[in-house]
Amino acid sequence: MIESSKTDYSQKNMSSESNAQSKYFKSKKRQEQLGKIAIYVILILVSLILLAPLVWMLSTSLKPMSEIVRFPPTILPETFVWQNYLDTIQAFPFFKYMGNTLFITGFVVLGNVFSNSFIAYGFAKIEFPGKKILFALVLATMMVPGFVTMIPQYILFTRINWVGTYLPLIVPAFFGSAFNIFLLRQFYLSINNELIEAAQIDGANHLYIWSHLMVPLTKPALITVGIMSFNGAWNDFLGPLLYISKEDMYTLQIGLQSFSNQSTTQWNYLMAGATLVLIPSILLFFFAQKYFIEGMDLTGGTKG
Amino acid sequence: MNSKRSIKLLKQSLILGSTVILLAACGNSNDTSDQESADGRTTLEFWSFWGSGARRETIEEIIEEYNASQDDVTVEHVYQPWGDIWTKSLAAIAGGNAPDVIVQDINSVKQRAEAQQATNLQDYLDEDDISGDFYPQLWDTVLYEEEAYALPFNTDTQVLFYNKTAFEEAGLDPEMPPETWDELEEMARQLDQGSEGNWEQIGFYPRWNIGVDVWALNADGGEAWFDSNGEVAINTPEKVEALEWMLDWQDYYGRDTINQYEAEFGSGVSDPFISGLVSMRGQNINYYTNLVENAPDDFEFGVAPLPEKEEGSGHWSWGGGFVLEVPENTDHPEESYDFMKYLSSTEVQEKFGMNSFDIMANTEANENLKTHEELDEMGQMIYELADQNLAVTTITPVPLNAPDFNSLVNTEIDAAFLGQKTAKEALDDAQESVENLAE
Repeated sequence: MIESSKTDYSQKNMSSESNAQSKYFKSKKRQEQLGKIAIYVILILVSLILLAPLVWMLSTSLKPMSEIVRFPPTILPETFVWQNYLDTIQAFPFFKYMGNTLFITGFVVLGNVFSNSFIAYGFAKIEFPGKKILFALVLATMMVPGFVTMIPQYILFTRINWVGTYLPLIVPAFFGSAFNIFLLRQFYLSINNELIEAAQIDGANHLYIWSHLMVPLTKPALITVGIMSFNGAWNDFLGPLLYISKEDMYTLQIGLQSFSNQSTTQWNYLMAGATLVLIPSILLFFFAQKYFIEGMDLTGGTKG
Repeated sequence: MNSKRSIKLLKQSLILGSTVILLAACGNSNDTSDQESADGRTTLEFWSFWGSGARRETIEEIIEEYNASQDDVTVEHVYQPWGDIWTKSLAAIAGGNAPDVIVQDINSVKQRAEAQQATNLQDYLDEDDISGDFYPQLWDTVLYEEEAYALPFNTDTQVLFYNKTAFEEAGLDPEMPPETWDELEEMARQLDQGSEGNWEQIGFYPRWNIGVDVWALNADGGEAWFDSNGEVAINTPEKVEALEWMLDWQDYYGRDTINQYEAEFGSGVSDPFISGLVSMRGQNINYYTNLVENAPDDFEFGVAPLPEKEEGSGHWSWGGGFVLEVPENTDHPEESYDFMKYLSSTEVQEKFGMNSFDIMANTEANENLKTHEELDEMGQMIYELADQNLAVTTITPVPLNAPDFNSLVNTEIDAAFLGQKTAKEALDDAQESVENLAE
């Protein structure tokens, strides 16, 4: 659509003022500008649509309950109740839960980044019998929905007395996950084998090659895995719900739930809490955006 | 150089990580292996979904008083998220590390009793029979093969809320809410403002906020989809009439109008009653707390029993609630029962009700709340109405032979509201499929 309007415009220009070449270039520049404006308008519109839920969350978090229940709803708060945020933080031990969540998330990120990159290196660069079958098996675990394994896993963790601790939430991260292994393996595959062979000739073993060559080369992918693990652990609700049974060990996602009850939901507090909980994810994505996008690009692994 | 440092960092963090994990593991084994604290008191774990507000404050106060009242037991309250508490308790019971007492849904006690997930409490009751303390229909829900598996804690009932200001503006007497379905319709017509596609005020729409099941039960003398004998009673003439009546309301306001409104406030955030769009609506009596907290100060409302189908058919209503249960295979059932008994006692029930406006399972507690001096007139009236309404409130425990029958019925009812089936056809089909399921 933009393309066609551009040509219309240029044709018109050319027919009326075809002799003046300098003018033609000027108008071409203007066309480009107009095209850019059109693109920006569209981008802004789309981002407004995408941002709408976020704006709604923010706006609800600043309204008093009496305004939230009003119909038709107000888009922006009539009175800004900053107190909501203070109340939210005091309604449950917010900072304690944040510390707990950070503790779990930290280990999960650490575990995921190292274990997956280690495993993926093996699948990508080391030849051993049964590699293909093993890799297929790893990928097959992606096909099993989490709910199927939930109860057996729970019983397993009960038997080894891990229920009630953070171990069921943290330890599995140190044993790899299929999607991350796949993602990183694709990255490693795009790195030339000569590099490894050269290092081997110089006497490096696989551990050395992995830690000194591969890890630095795949930084964007590792950061991607890190961000995804962060989001997964930070926003995890079911895991802590099932395995943690002491209130002072709860995470933010469980704390947030305390605002919904059998008959009422305190939307103002829930939204204020959700906003606060979202901030680290947004910041993280904001700062690591460049790597994240590079990391998701499965074909351009060697760029980093 | 850089990578060397990062390797060092890696090693350090791995060592650090494993140490912390080890520590965490050790800390845990100390915690769970021993439920008796140093002073010889037994610790009971109590799960509820009261995570914030008045209910949480009250229950914690109650527990504190209980702990102080004796020397043998310390109860620890653990909040679990609403709804998810039952997912978690299911896993915990299956895994063999359930807490000592859980607040459970009143309608599924029999199911848990049958599945051996709840402890039989009959021995304690034989010693000291407290079954008479509760409303009889609530007590019925905790019995499986005539033995008790839980103690009722609280309940609710559906009533009619109406906007008194709107009544006055429409020339209706704000002290005379509708008594019958006919009156309800008449008054709604007077309260209506606008016309199809452009309503400024909707007098009443039966599907907001109670379901077809409640109106069907209201029409059919309090008999639910499964009647009091446990028979499937979906296509009774009264229930068919009730569904026809509801379909008429949809036709009157227009299906599109109804759909549009449901899309707008279906999420339950905006409240069309407080906003004055809807003048009368059937709702759980606990909605009173929403009105007190969220409605503007000048908002005047009344509460009344659900209108009866015709004079003398009865103001039948539907209720739910929660019970206290000891999961199967816990270490201290006796102590747990003692704590539950305490929670069911009149004094404690009264206290919980007063702060939460929950309707309590203990009859005497509700009686006391009707005249409780710490409640204002409206608050006392709510308990008055609740007590009166509970005489005509049916509780509908999940039938053991067809636990998931509701989805079958709802599919047929949706078909009726979409105009694909008549009320009779829809309920006949529902009757047939539920009968098949129950066999």
